[in-house]
Amino acid sequence: MKAFFENVRRHFGLAAGIGFSLLAIQIIAIALAPYIAPYSPIDADPLSSLQPPSVAHWFGTDVSGMDILSRVIYATRINLLISVSSVIAAFIVGVPVGLLIGYYRNIFSNLIMRVFDFIQSFPVFVLGMALVSVLGQEVWNVAIVLGVLFIPMFARLIRAEVLSLRERPFISAARCSGASDLSIMFRHILPNALTPVIVQVSISIGMAILLTAGLSFIGAGVRMPTPEWGLMVGNGAQQMILGVWWVALFPGLAIVFSVLCFALLGDFAQAVTDPNAETIS
Amino acid sequence: MAPERSPLLEVEDLTIAFGDGAPVLDGLNFALNRNEIVGLVGETGAGKSILTRAIIDLLPKGGAITAGDIRVEGQSVGKLPEARKRALRGGEVALIGTNAKLLLDPVATVGSQVGRVLKAHRPASRTEIRSRVIDVFRQVGIVNPEARYEAFPHELSGGMAQRVVIAMALIAEPKLILADDATLGLDATIQAQVLDLLVSKGRELGLGVLLITHDLGIISHYCDRVGIIQGGRLIELKPVDQFLDKPETEYSRLLLDAAKVRPAPRDQSGDDAPAASIQPLLDVKELRKTFVVDGGQAVVRAVDGISFRLCKGETLALVGESGSGKTTAGQCLLKLLQADSGSVMFDGTEILGLREHEFRRMRRRLQVVFQEPYVALNPRWQVVDLISEPLALTGQRGGAERAAEVTRLIDLVHLPRRVAGLYPHQLTAGEQKRVGIARALATGPDFVVFDEPTTALDIRVRAQIIDLVRELQARMGLSALFITHDLNSVRSLAHNVAVMRHGKIVEHGETEQIFARPKEAYTRMLLAAELPIEANRSGKAPKTELEFVR
Repeated sequence: MKAFFENVRRHFGLAAGIGFSLLAIQIIAIALAPYIAPYSPIDADPLSSLQPPSVAHWFGTDVSGMDILSRVIYATRINLLISVSSVIAAFIVGVPVGLLIGYYRNIFSNLIMRVFDFIQSFPVFVLGMALVSVLGQEVWNVAIVLGVLFIPMFARLIRAEVLSLRERPFISAARCSGASDLSIMFRHILPNALTPVIVQVSISIGMAILLTAGLSFIGAGVRMPTPEWGLMVGNGAQQMILGVWWVALFPGLAIVFSVLCFALLGDFAQAVTDPNAETIS
Repeated sequence: MAPERSPLLEVEDLTIAFGDGAPVLDGLNFALNRNEIVGLVGETGAGKSILTRAIIDLLPKGGAITAGDIRVEGQSVGKLPEARKRALRGGEVALIGTNAKLLLDPVATVGSQVGRVLKAHRPASRTEIRSRVIDVFRQVGIVNPEARYEAFPHELSGGMAQRVVIAMALIAEPKLILADDATLGLDATIQAQVLDLLVSKGRELGLGVLLITHDLGIISHYCDRVGIIQGGRLIELKPVDQFLDKPETEYSRLLLDAAKVRPAPRDQSGDDAPAASIQPLLDVKELRKTFVVDGGQAVVRAVDGISFRLCKGETLALVGESGSGKTTAGQCLLKLLQADSGSVMFDGTEILGLREHEFRRMRRRLQVVFQEPYVALNPRWQVVDLISEPLALTGQRGGAERAAEVTRLIDLVHLPRRVAGLYPHQLTAGEQKRVGIARALATGPDFVVFDEPTTALDIRVRAQIIDLVRELQARMGLSALFITHDLNSVRSLAHNVAVMRHGKIVEHGETEQIFARPKEAYTRMLLAAELPIEANRSGKAPKTELEFVR
């Protein structure tokens, strides 16, 4: 444990610092949105529509006169809720599935792999659009769709690790010690296979944020007036040609920093959990 | 160039440290002349490999020479301009490392790789280079060198790859060869061939050879002088004969004692017991296991119908070179691999046909100590968990009872109790091996397979493990199968020996009988390849006996 903290300290540099700062900002925005947002995120005020940034509206207002700063702050909740929950769900389902199909090589596991091939061979957006329009444009439906899309990724990653780990002598040693298949899978293989998956979780959250925003942008995600970054960028895009840049810019920046945050955290997790740095020969 | 009198290699007061840490090499002083072979002996971590890297000025990152100097032909290596250093590496000083297969580039043919070395040092036309490479290949005993020139490293055996690396070292006609554990992990027969070749080439060309090893047998057979390195210091340096007769320091004496063949002080009282019991504990008949390789193109008969019996309290050694199928046979007995056909009766029960869950109840009685100590331990488990895992098989559920049992096992294999909370990577190789043995003994088995119990261990650790196994044999009345190519250890541990070759048992009999009067040529070859340090010094001549078997 001490070695772990030592390792964390050694890899904690500027990039990780920025990553964690951005994460802290997002957590504050989620927790304290009602206190720091100057206006309600869904109160339209047609009289003050498309106001440029000013003292009253720092980020300006959109076409319905809703305060963009408030909407950007509140949208953190929706965007991270969808992204984090979909990735966690994919992790919970994908990891055991990957473990099973890596450990037992039979027709059944082959079949599951082909299903994954099928899911992954579709353009993500087309599949996402189709699924969301069938299920209905609700926040949870977007999360479910993203979760389904991410399951094959986690399962494949774990499976690849399992395939190499199951041939290692310590697995034979465990079998000779009377370990059952379940015990070998979950107590011996899983802890050793989890490292790259932990890194993938962080990177996937970033991808999920982009996908959520993208689906909403093309109108296949959540609907107005729910505050959501991609939806806001989509609304602003229509006014860009009129010189109204602020409607799309600020939620766009929010997406950029949020994705950057999880990418940086992923790199940090990668550096910390790198097995080469861990082993002391 | 350099004055005629200066020795080929001079190392003067050499001190090397990493960062601000304690020096890994501390005040090393020695010289190596042309046409001389000096052996350096030390245990893992003594700083031997760092020395070779320092001589070619390629220290690992963070390492630096803090004092002293290294001179090749009177010229200080560290002070040479970069271009001269490159000419020195491979051109005048060649390094041969451990594990040749990893040293070769997997995507280039071995011929072109060796050719590149020549090209870097002695520019020549393409056809000239090719003919030179093939020439050197022939000299190092590569059969059919023209064909081998086009081979990729994965197509070669370990011994052949090692020859390629030696060819690579010799091709630019260096004056000094550094062999850093160049034969580690090779079979004894191959090791003897490779070393014979290296040494005879060195003598023929008048090269200086620095032979780094932890095997005193190699030293006594091939070297003129020997240096002992302990903790980064050269504690002894003298001609080999004098060293073997009269080691100066306590540490050297320990090493020598550990390396000596133990003349089998087996407990003779137990010897009659196996013959008395009528039903054998283990009865193997016509065991076969084949592997399909090359995508169904070829079939390898790894185990080709072997039969043997093992009585209670008896130890059988299964001896052979790598690829002889001995490990596969052991894994079939433990049902880690499913045998194709044959019969394995364990205490009256046929186990080959049993399903995994039926066999699991019997696993308590058949255990195994794996070959490589580190990889057979789950890296994320503490020692206490590793040792207590098999206890579930004996049905001991109580936490306190288990904890007491783990402590008893840790004591049994003579480990300090503090290791319980450590992870495998925090242990030394010897300690890892002991944990592996403790795991195998946890369930109180009747039969234990020891897969290569002594390979890859330092001399002293090896002796300690042999002593431990012998003690356990006597104390617990174990029946054991030793899978090994280390004949020295077999002699002191096993009642009977079975020699395997190409999946078949070619000779089977009492240990002393096999050692005294081997019947098969193959057995004789295995015995001849051993390098016991007591063997007479005439053994320095290349072993011609090896040739006729090949």
